[in-house]
Amino acid sequence: MSFITAYCHLNQEYCAVNGGIISRRDKQAQDPWFKQIYKEQEFAYPKFHKMDTLAQAGFLGSELIKRAAPALLTDYNDDEVALIFANSASSADTDLRFIRSYEQNGSPSPSLFVYTLPNIVLGELAILNKWYGENMFAVLPKFVPDFFLNYTQILLSGGSKAALCGWLEILGDRIDAFLFLIEKEASHAMEFSRENLESLIATGPVTQ
Amino acid sequence: MDNLKEDLKKQIIEQLNLEEVTPADIADDTLLFNDEGLGLDSIDALELIVLLEKYHGIQVTKPEEGKEAFKSINTMAEFIRNRKG
Repeated sequence: MSFITAYCHLNQEYCAVNGGIISRRDKQAQDPWFKQIYKEQEFAYPKFHKMDTLAQAGFLGSELIKRAAPALLTDYNDDEVALIFANSASSADTDLRFIRSYEQNGSPSPSLFVYTLPNIVLGELAILNKWYGENMFAVLPKFVPDFFLNYTQILLSGGSKAALCGWLEILGDRIDAFLFLIEKEASHAMEFSRENLESLIATGPVTQ
Repeated sequence: MDNLKEDLKKQIIEQLNLEEVTPADIADDTLLFNDEGLGLDSIDALELIVLLEKYHGIQVTKPEEGKEAFKSINTMAEFIRNRKG
């Protein structure tokens, strides 16, 4: 058996950790939404500003999960944390920005080009946290609980002891991110099952 | 104050999205690719090549040129002045 020990929702309106909203978007603010969260949460990682929005969403979600479950950083060897992510739009948001960078500005942007693959976010998280375990980024038609259940069980039956999972859908104004931490051993935590995963996705945050 | 060097600092901050850096944080002799300096990486080097073409109309075609020119603001300004003759 394995357990969901922390989770984070992030959409256009709010950011929530373990069901409690920690930040609401200020539409009057000059800063983009993800930068608002970065500042409010007092993160200090200058590379954040160079990332594309897909990687920024992965960074914010994973940092918030680390705060909610600090054992992720202390209880595992660097090859025992797996990363299992998916979405349906792949890196299309950045692909379109890259096309515009050379169509409108006359020259392609190298810093945008490096983000024109969806799995780059996994590299960002691996470098930042020194997580050298298994990783996978799948492009699927929609969020499929069984993909995460089956793939996580396979990895947890091998060398992985924890898996940071995420659905990271970013396209234009549409933001739909849901990250969750699965651990083999935990007390007082929710069982990692299809029903619980569907319930967390469907209900969203519970406090205002 | 050397306007070219000040302009370069602003252009680097904008082109490389160094949002937590101000022009005052970059000394003329700060090493751009040293972790104790600005800590730029290989992608930033490509952005500097784009910057030189975009703002100064200079193409860097030989890798050795960039290696020397991108050491600091001083060397970038010197490179631009030499190329513009």
